[in-house]
Amino acid sequence: MSPSTPYTYIQCPCSDQTVSGPGGALSDPEENEAFDPKAPRSNYSLYPLEYLLYCEDCQQIRCPRCVTEESVTYYCPNCLFEVPSSNLRSEGNRCTRSCYQCPVCIGPLQVGAIQPTTDANLLPTQYQTNPTGGPYALFCQYCNWTSTEISIEFDRPSGIYNQLSKVNNGGQPKLTLRDVKDRRKDNPDEPPVPDDQVDADLQFANLKAFYQQQLSESNTSIRGLPLHDGLGFSSPAALTRIMSLYTGRGHQGRLQQGPADIMREALGTNDGLKIANLDESKDIKKLIDGGWGVTASLEQRSEQPTEPARFEDELRPIAYLLRSKRSKRCPSCRHIISKPEAKVVSTRFKIRLVAKSYIPTITIRPLNPTATPVPVTYRPMVQEETPLKPHQAYHFVVTFKNPLFDNIKVTLASPPKTPGRFSSRVTVLCPQFEVDANTDMWDDALKDDEKDRSRKADEGPEVGKIWEKGRNWVSIVLEVIPASLRIDQLEKKGNDNIDTSPLKKGEDLLEIPMFVRMEWESETQADMDGPPSKDKETREKRELAYWCVLGVGRISHE
Amino acid sequence: MSSGTGPTLAHRSVASIRSAPILQEPGAPHTPPRTISNTYGSPATIRADDDFLIIQIGSRFVRAGFAGDNQPKAVLTCGPKDQRRAGDFRDWQPAGDVDLQSGDKDYELWRYDLREVDLGLVYDKLDRLLRDAFGRCLLIDSRPRRAGLVLDSGVPIPILSTVLDLLFKGFQTPMISLMSSATMSVVAGGIRSGLVIDMGWAETVVTSVYEYREVKCTRSIRGGRYLNHQLYKLLHKILTDKEEEEEGARVISFAECEDIMCRLMWCRPPASKSPQAQKPAQRQSQQLDTVEEQDESEPEPEQSLQNSVASIPLRSINPPRTIEVPFDKIADVCDDTFFDLSIAHSAFDDEDFPVHLLIYRHLLQLPMDVRAVCMPRIIFTGGCSNILGIKGRIMEEVTSMVKRKGWANVSGKHVEESRNSQFSDRRASIARSVSSTATASDLGEEQESSRPSSIASQSDIADPIEAKVARHRPQISQMQGEFRTLHSLGPWAGASLVSQLKIPAMATVDRELWLQQGAYGASRPNEIDVKAQQRQSMGAGGFIRGSGGHHTNWTLGAWGNV
Repeated sequence: MSPSTPYTYIQCPCSDQTVSGPGGALSDPEENEAFDPKAPRSNYSLYPLEYLLYCEDCQQIRCPRCVTEESVTYYCPNCLFEVPSSNLRSEGNRCTRSCYQCPVCIGPLQVGAIQPTTDANLLPTQYQTNPTGGPYALFCQYCNWTSTEISIEFDRPSGIYNQLSKVNNGGQPKLTLRDVKDRRKDNPDEPPVPDDQVDADLQFANLKAFYQQQLSESNTSIRGLPLHDGLGFSSPAALTRIMSLYTGRGHQGRLQQGPADIMREALGTNDGLKIANLDESKDIKKLIDGGWGVTASLEQRSEQPTEPARFEDELRPIAYLLRSKRSKRCPSCRHIISKPEAKVVSTRFKIRLVAKSYIPTITIRPLNPTATPVPVTYRPMVQEETPLKPHQAYHFVVTFKNPLFDNIKVTLASPPKTPGRFSSRVTVLCPQFEVDANTDMWDDALKDDEKDRSRKADEGPEVGKIWEKGRNWVSIVLEVIPASLRIDQLEKKGNDNIDTSPLKKGEDLLEIPMFVRMEWESETQADMDGPPSKDKETREKRELAYWCVLGVGRISHE
Repeated sequence: MSSGTGPTLAHRSVASIRSAPILQEPGAPHTPPRTISNTYGSPATIRADDDFLIIQIGSRFVRAGFAGDNQPKAVLTCGPKDQRRAGDFRDWQPAGDVDLQSGDKDYELWRYDLREVDLGLVYDKLDRLLRDAFGRCLLIDSRPRRAGLVLDSGVPIPILSTVLDLLFKGFQTPMISLMSSATMSVVAGGIRSGLVIDMGWAETVVTSVYEYREVKCTRSIRGGRYLNHQLYKLLHKILTDKEEEEEGARVISFAECEDIMCRLMWCRPPASKSPQAQKPAQRQSQQLDTVEEQDESEPEPEQSLQNSVASIPLRSINPPRTIEVPFDKIADVCDDTFFDLSIAHSAFDDEDFPVHLLIYRHLLQLPMDVRAVCMPRIIFTGGCSNILGIKGRIMEEVTSMVKRKGWANVSGKHVEESRNSQFSDRRASIARSVSSTATASDLGEEQESSRPSSIASQSDIADPIEAKVARHRPQISQMQGEFRTLHSLGPWAGASLVSQLKIPAMATVDRELWLQQGAYGASRPNEIDVKAQQRQSMGAGGFIRGSGGHHTNWTLGAWGNV
């Protein structure tokens, strides 16, 4: 379903195993029917060749779903600071320096001094060099949002994370459990914090302290049991508790001997109890007065790391999410198949076994292209091919390029009709062929290629014959007769009802599933990088088979 | 995080040894709670064992994070954009075409109706979401980690089994604790029992939890999906002047409609629409009082609000335009979805009761004790409970309903008449009984429930010294029989608390046993030796490795068995 055709996708063989997973009712696709690239599940198993890795020991393609990962380094994508993994656990998964994203447009924010209104006429340089600086704010370079809009200013231009975590939107200091405790210590008679000042962090901290205290105080014999589903009534403690429920002793009876049987529920703000605020008329008024403009959009809300904000002035700057570099292992043999360099700035890999150097690259192009080639100067632009007309034979050239140092034998299989409602006819003119090894590059240049050129002048593709051939590549021809997209022309198959719903998205895209099987001989215990002629006797046969999808083009609506 | 009760530095196993002093002065000498520490295990346990993942899976959102945090690190949803192939960069291309075809189904992870669900696709979607959450947001590698799974207890077993399959096979989780979201909401509210009203996407679910156990669960389809559809109908009418037709492309995209719903949806305070709501004679809960005050103090702005208009810039129609929608109409949509006051109560089907009726009927069917305990512990969770004013409105509707009808499951003209005649007498008699804390709404039943307790206490406090002591002791009395709404941090936070405090979950599933037996291996919850299970899950650190060969019974808890 990629926008520009033609393209090639490869299905990782690992998805076969998950297909028959839940329920076991789903059949193995290889046994019964051809792989359907239009099925919703196939979106999850198809990858461009560049995304795939290869395990040399298992001789298997490995996709992002079937590798195990290990983190190498963590870093902030904005300041490229490398974060030690111990900090990650204590400080969370976001940058704790001064890297923030704009809550409105997710552009990067910059710290700057707030321009005093009286200095409006001065040159910009003059207030930037002001040694006293301050107060500072965060500025978005893209949408001109500043943190002064939510009344947050900073004293220092550095350590924004620490300063910001102490202020709520609107400039009020944020209450923490420690503040509350200090306050209570100084002034024990003070009433607990009003509920509207208790935010999620404080409530959580209160609750946690409360539960910890209760668990340690309550009777250890039934500790923990309350959450269990099958509570037994065998223990004496449970029986007394049930009795007390019905005699009222639990409430106002005599002093209980020893610790309480069960932990009590939270009773006040300090225990983490918070009465819900049912009166939201103030917010309703704000919504109705402000209208669409004061509300935060769904995307903005989902970017917020804390509890969702409703209004735009409740949005907070977003600290950058850290990233990690990961090494990848084969899940079955535990060999590393990809390992990046630990340095943050380096984009190189120490080990990287990409599938491109183990399985043939398949490219497809029309035999008689209709789109004019794009001049180099306009390169990012892609010229789309004209849509394919139904019931008209089209020829496509499929090229297989062999990256291995051995000859490979390729066998292709493709269903005669593509799966789906609109099934087009597909014929592979040459389903079996051999591709030469990836030998010295100069061979190609030195070889006399007159022969191949002459073939092109022929009338057209011939059944059973290779179309073109080079040093390590072979092209064959695929004949396609696209189906008509008209609903009323759908053929009736057996007794099944025809699905006459209107054309769905992507259904006009002609995709051909093709099963590729390659066979080759190579040395045992492959040492691919070593010299090829170590021991001629120990060569063994190998094979690899997988489905791939060739996106041919769009069928025209008529 | 499971290795210690210390709030910080829990990742260091040393810290867990010292966590005991944090506990405050105990009431009496007793055996200190044992912290089962990884330190005593084999050295190989010093691995990723110490983070415990909490995963909450709803029909729209997946939340994932570490136990001990107060909010999930990743809250992800799965739209059609997230279901494309790898290497499809259409999202980043300018002027991407607007997706007018995908509807609710493409945005949901699963549905309750399994006939419409492709379990394989659910597996793939969840797999991709969790991989994204773990890799991008939680930044963890793929070493095995124990996980807590927070799910609605109504999730069908095939879905549960798919999720467990994914976690055990795809993520090598050694052990999964199953926690029900209603119970966890109660935990996150700091209480033991309560009525959890989960206004989610697919359904509004009312669950009464008593002593951490789910007693009853009733559902209504009046949830977010319904609301979104109603709003779409309104917008469709405004845009095209026609009623919505079933087939064909949408007028505006689903995403845009949802955006409008989340931004502008609000709910009217009850006084303005329902004139029959009488002035309540006595109100005890403070929050309801404040609603009343507001209504009285600003009647003028209320009027002006009714006429104001929201201008909504629409981008998914061609050409983009701005439409004007009166706020009143939006509130009508909300009213029709959740209350539907225009229709008689008897006209509703079992699955589409309006929310206030659902709550009332739920409370009505509860045993009296449970009802008395649940009434002052009402918790709202779920996305739709964030609609401005809806919580207050629901509570107001329920209270007025209780006031009108009491707790009698009979309705009709004659009953209504006779009730009205009795009402005044009864109330007078209740007012006379000083000890009763019951509201007028509870009438006789509540009175009865309070009677035995007063008798019991009388006999106990016959001793005058004891009575004196009792008078000076801080009264810890359970609030009963009146409405009060509590704020909960939500099921995810509750599960995070529970897991960090190492409280055994309702059901734990071991990887080896699951891979051997699958969902069919689960026994009935009452066939199981609770103590044995508890011992295993308490010593979870050691259990992982030791258990493999043992044949133990395990259950799927509230999710039943095959």
